[in-house]
Amino acid sequence: MDRLLRQLSQLAITVFGIVTVTFFLVRMIPGDPAQYMLGDYATEEALATLRAQLGLDQPVYVQYGLYVLRAVTGDFGSSVVTGRPALEEILFSLPDSAILAFAGLVVAVVIGIPLGILTAERQGSWSDMLIMIVALFGISFPVFWLGLASVLLFSQELKWFPALGASSGGGLLTHLHHLVLPAGVLGISVAAYITRLTRSAMLEVLGQDCIRVARAMGVPERRVVWRLALKNALVPILAIVGVTFAWSLGSAILIEVVFSRPGIGSMILKAVSARDYQLVQAGVLVLAVAVVLVNSLLDLAYGLVDPRLSTR
Amino acid sequence: MPHKAMPNLHSVAPAAPVAPATAPRPVALELRDLTTVFPGDDGPVTVIDGVSLAVRAGGTLAVVGESGSGKSMTFLSALGLVAAPGRVRRGEVRIDGADILHQPPERLRRLRGAVISMIFQDPLTALNPVFTIGEQIVEVLRAHQRIGRSAARARAIELLARVQIPDPARRVDDYPHQLSGGQRQRVLIAMAIALSPKILIADEPTTALDVTVQAQILDLLADLQAETGMALVLITHDLGLVARYADDVAVMYAGRLVETGSMEEVFTKPRHPYTRALFRSIPRLDGPVDEELPAIEGQPPNVARLPPGCAFEPRCTVGRGRADCCTRRPLPLAGDRSGHRSACFHEDLPDRTEAIR
Repeated sequence: MDRLLRQLSQLAITVFGIVTVTFFLVRMIPGDPAQYMLGDYATEEALATLRAQLGLDQPVYVQYGLYVLRAVTGDFGSSVVTGRPALEEILFSLPDSAILAFAGLVVAVVIGIPLGILTAERQGSWSDMLIMIVALFGISFPVFWLGLASVLLFSQELKWFPALGASSGGGLLTHLHHLVLPAGVLGISVAAYITRLTRSAMLEVLGQDCIRVARAMGVPERRVVWRLALKNALVPILAIVGVTFAWSLGSAILIEVVFSRPGIGSMILKAVSARDYQLVQAGVLVLAVAVVLVNSLLDLAYGLVDPRLSTR
Repeated sequence: MPHKAMPNLHSVAPAAPVAPATAPRPVALELRDLTTVFPGDDGPVTVIDGVSLAVRAGGTLAVVGESGSGKSMTFLSALGLVAAPGRVRRGEVRIDGADILHQPPERLRRLRGAVISMIFQDPLTALNPVFTIGEQIVEVLRAHQRIGRSAARARAIELLARVQIPDPARRVDDYPHQLSGGQRQRVLIAMAIALSPKILIADEPTTALDVTVQAQILDLLADLQAETGMALVLITHDLGLVARYADDVAVMYAGRLVETGSMEEVFTKPRHPYTRALFRSIPRLDGPVDEELPAIEGQPPNVARLPPGCAFEPRCTVGRGRADCCTRRPLPLAGDRSGHRSACFHEDLPDRTEAIR
C-alpha cells in the first residue's frame, strides 16, 4: 500500500514535469498558429483577434499558469483545427496506437527474449555470432527504412499484406491482416535491442555462484538456464522491456506515418505542422503518461519476481 | 568428535605398498594424473598438473595450500565443471574404480549431486536468491529422481531437519536472504546430501562464516559422514581444521601436489620445505608474545610462468640456490612404506630460517 502511494506520487511529479516541458517545447517551434490558421493573406486585425481568442496575446508565463490550472481540472484546451477538446481527440485515436505498440512489443518480447537466452547459452558459438550480427543490423537500420523495405517486399512484390491503413471498417481478421506488417516491423526492430540486452543479462547471471552450485548438484543444463538463471535475469529483462516500450511508442509514430495508419503518432505529426499547440501538448502528455504507467506497473512486477525487492 | 574411530593408516596413494593394521575401506574417489589447462597468451597454461589422490569411503582428506594453488580447481575438474575455455587435458577420475570423466556429459551430470556432491565457500552467493530454499532442494531431488512435488517437498523438510534448521516446515518457504550465513550453508549441505552421495567435496565451507558457526558446520559434516559413511574432501587453508577433522592430508602448491600422507605423519614430520614453512607460519599460543610470525618469503607463483623445475624453489629457504635442487623438472611424489610422500628429497636438510631461530 505504502509502495503504491509512493508510485502514485512519483507518477504525479513526472506528469507535472512532462506538462511543463511539453508546454515550453511546443512554444519553441517557430511559427504562429493564428497565421497558420488564417493563411498568408489574413489582415493584422483578424490575426490579433484570433490570438486574443486563443490567449496567445498574454505573456508566456501567464499562458503557462492558465494551462496548468485548467489541466488540473482535466481541461487541456481544444484543438484549434477541429475545435474539439484536445484530450478527447487524442484519447479517441489512442486505441489504434496502443494496439500497434502493444502488438509490436509482444513480437519483440516473443522473439527477443528467447533469442537472447539461446545466444547466452551458446556464447561464442557460430549461431551466437550470427544472431548478434543480425541483431546489430536490426538496431542499426532505422525503423522507417525497415518499414518501407517491408512494404516493397511484402506488399508490392509478394502482395501478402496490405501496405496502407488500418481497415477501420473491416472485421477482426482484416484488422489483424493490416496489423501484421507494421507490428512485425516494429517488433523486429525492438527485438534486436531486447535480444542483445537479454543476452548480456543472462551471461551475467550464468556466471554467478548459484548457477555453478546448481550444475554441481547435477541439475540439467536446460533447467539451469531456462528456470534457475532466467528468473534471476528477469528483473533486468523487465527493465529493458519498460525502456523499449517507450522506444516502441516512439517508433510506432514513425510506423504510423509510413503505413498511413491512424493513431496518436500521425495525429501529433499533423498537429505540429498546424501549430495546434493544445493537441500536441495533450498528445505528448498521453504518450508520456502511458510510458510512465507501464514502467510503474513493471516496478510493481519486480517485487513478484525478486523476493528481496518486495520486502523492502 | 566421535567421527574418527578407525585408525588413520590408510594411504592417500593406494598404489604405494601399504601395510594397514586393519583392512582398509575401499577407495571411494581416486584422481589419477589429473591435468587441467587454460589457454594463455603464450600457449596453454597448466593450472592443475598431474594430481593423483585418493580418498576412502568414510575417510576425510584435507587438501591444503595457498589461494590459487589449484585446490578448488582440482575438484571442479574432477566434476567436469571447469568453465570454458579451460579443459581437463589428461587424467582420470575414478569412482568405485570406474573412470567418470570420459563419459557423455549427461551421464556425468547424473553422477553430480547424486554420487559426488560439492559445497562451496560462500553460502551467501551459492543459493539462488529468487527461489525459496525448498524449491532449490526440490530442484536437486527432481534432477535425479522421479518424485512428485509434494513428496519432494516433504523430503526437503526432512533434509532441513537433518541439517538442524529449526522449524523446517516453516523455513522451507523462506528465501535465502531471510536466513543467516550459517543456516544458508546448512541448506547447501542439505542439497548436497539430498541423494546420499558417496563423496562430498567441501570447498572451504566455513571461510565466510564466523568462528562459532564454523565449528557447528564442520561437526554437522562429521556427523553426516559418520552416519552415511561418505568420503569427505575438505578443501581448506585452516591447518587447525585439518588437525581436527582430517585423516589424510594433501598439500598443493602451484597446481601440483607437493606432499601427501596421513594427518599424523604430515603434522609430526612434514617433509617438503613448503609444508614445513606452512606449519611455521601458524601462530603458537605458547610462543613469545612479541614474536614476529614467520611468513613465507616472496609471492605465490604465477602458474603461467612457472620455473621448469620445482615451483617452490625460488621461495625455498631450504634448497634455494643449491646445486642439487630440481631446477630442470619437478620431482614426482616419492615416499616410504607409510604412504607419506613428498616432492622434495631435501627433507633432512635444516631450514635456514629454522637454524637462525
